[in-house]
Amino acid sequence: MSASRAETLEQLARLCRNGREGPPPRVEPSGSASLDAVLPGGGWQSGTIVELMPVSDGIGELRLLMPALAKITQSERHVAMIAPPYIPFAPALLRHGLRLEHFWIIRAQSAADILWSAEQTLRCKSFGAVLAWPSAIRDREVRRLQLAAEAGSSIGFVYRPPSAAHESSPAAVRLRLQADAVGQLNVDIVKCRGARAGMSLAVGGLESAGRQRLTANT
Amino acid sequence: MLWLCITLPQLPLEALQCEQGERPTLVTVLEGNVRSVVCCNPAAGRIGLQPAMNFTTALAILPEVIAMERRLTAEQAALERLATWAYQFSGTVILGELFADLQRARTTALWLEIGASLRLFGGFRKLIEQLEAELGKLSYSYQLGIAPTLEGAALLARTGVRVAITTAAALRARIENISVHWLNLDPWITQQLQSVGVRTVGLLLALPRDGVAKRFGPEVCNYLDRLTGAAPDPRPTYRLPPKYHARFEFDAEIHSTEALLFPLRRMLREFVGFLRARDTGVQKFTLRFVHRDTVATVIHVGLSMPDRSSERFLTLARERLEHTELPSASVALELSAETFAMPTGLNVDMLSGATEHGEELGHTLDRIVARLGENQVHGVKAVAEHRPEHSWTTAAAEDRRPPLDFPDRPLWLLPEPKPLQLSGMPALTGAERIESGWWDGGDVRRDYFIARTQQGAALWIFKDLRDGSWHLHGFWS
Repeated sequence: MSASRAETLEQLARLCRNGREGPPPRVEPSGSASLDAVLPGGGWQSGTIVELMPVSDGIGELRLLMPALAKITQSERHVAMIAPPYIPFAPALLRHGLRLEHFWIIRAQSAADILWSAEQTLRCKSFGAVLAWPSAIRDREVRRLQLAAEAGSSIGFVYRPPSAAHESSPAAVRLRLQADAVGQLNVDIVKCRGARAGMSLAVGGLESAGRQRLTANT
Repeated sequence: MLWLCITLPQLPLEALQCEQGERPTLVTVLEGNVRSVVCCNPAAGRIGLQPAMNFTTALAILPEVIAMERRLTAEQAALERLATWAYQFSGTVILGELFADLQRARTTALWLEIGASLRLFGGFRKLIEQLEAELGKLSYSYQLGIAPTLEGAALLARTGVRVAITTAAALRARIENISVHWLNLDPWITQQLQSVGVRTVGLLLALPRDGVAKRFGPEVCNYLDRLTGAAPDPRPTYRLPPKYHARFEFDAEIHSTEALLFPLRRMLREFVGFLRARDTGVQKFTLRFVHRDTVATVIHVGLSMPDRSSERFLTLARERLEHTELPSASVALELSAETFAMPTGLNVDMLSGATEHGEELGHTLDRIVARLGENQVHGVKAVAEHRPEHSWTTAAAEDRRPPLDFPDRPLWLLPEPKPLQLSGMPALTGAERIESGWWDGGDVRRDYFIARTQQGAALWIFKDLRDGSWHLHGFWS
């Protein structure tokens, strides 16, 4: 089955379900108007899997999600990070407005445990967003996470290496992240339901104070 | 007083194993120098083996039959676990005596006073329905009897008369035609009675008291008085222990985790009965798998909030068990719990969505902790400390109040600062000096900077002022 056909079928299935299942998906604005303009639903939409493929660490791959994560924790839903590559630094999370009592770190080790934990948390209605760093993930597993996110009305952000951009994936939204020499974050749309792939957006308005200071001093 | 008696005719077998095996199995006991069958499983019954049969005869019928030795300690443990479980239905539970002799091995019983519980459970039928539904899940064979006297209820249970009798007069009328061999009397006495033509309870009760006492001893009259309610029958009631401790001795060593789930499931259900009886829940319980030669394997099962669902307990215990390497086969399983707390879902408004959410969160985190281990799931909090590596810590859910204001910090911190080899000096911005920690030996004198890589990444690096070395400490991701 070709990727586009599979997608059509998936969309059809979704349409059928929409008829029966009550609440429309929740949408968290990303904090960037240009990004919201291309994202389906106008922001990060519950019940979807978003793949993020940063070219290196430290370019703003986490900052991109901070406005949405802060809002989710402020509205009493929980956020989990599964197998993050470094320590999510509490003082910085606080400055970004995250309510730490609604934030969880799950230090799963094996690929199976990471995906299992992601599925469990996505499926749980208490979680609004789940960020996962799987060492490897296959199409079948992305679909499983997709179903879990739909069941729990949560958003799944899956971080993958930049090389994954060349592979296909059933995830609804796939974004490649890079930064220019002055640290401006650019989002390349690899795949986005309802938007043209291949677009590239400079995402502004998401700078942390640190970046502002950086630009100010340069 | 209205007594419900539960007799356990298969207890000698079922105390040793709780799944009904496909292979013919029986329990034997040695009396004098004759070994006899105490009870047998349905598979053995189907090929003609039966209780009280001589074991030699049984072997002649089926040489490969599995034979176990009767173990009174295992039966006593099972009976006590059941009594604890039964407490949820009644505040007054009485444990029956265990008889070592063959004739009375299948008459082990326990009693619940149900007169006071009827209204609580919404009547007779509902109480019995609920009790049988729960009892059925524990996989014991049982018979019930209901009567105003302890011995009366036991007699009805043994004979399998499923009628609830509520008055002494009705009881007397109902037992008249029952054969004397069902009575809880020394087997020698019932044989004597039958040989002189006293075949039914009615005939025995019609005999003059003095004559019976003279011929068979006064205890026969005492027993008959207690049976009919003519004399009181005070007995010590079973007290609910303040802490829970239950033990299940297996008939044979259990090697596979799968097979351990059978006794585990029964024990967890009995445990939940205890929790219902105490009207409480637990947040932590301990399983001990006892091995023959090595030290026991202990598994602590913790929950994020107090609970009393045997299914959830089983899911968590099973997850832990699957990730635990048992050093050898298990010969017994113990379950214990010391502290109890009301399940949160039960004492607040059940319709409140927030509670439901909280519970779901708790159950999800419990499952993950059960699989990954206690230290692998945690929150974080900020600590008012200058040194970056000490300005955060892992934290439990309750304890994450935001502290004082923090200077700007990167989102990613490295677990340990990583030494950097700088080729040329990158453009550095955002200088910040951090000096601290001389009082606890964690002396730190550093100048922190933000360095930009060619790929546009912002690194948090510092120069150690004590030796001039450079380190990477985080990412402005």
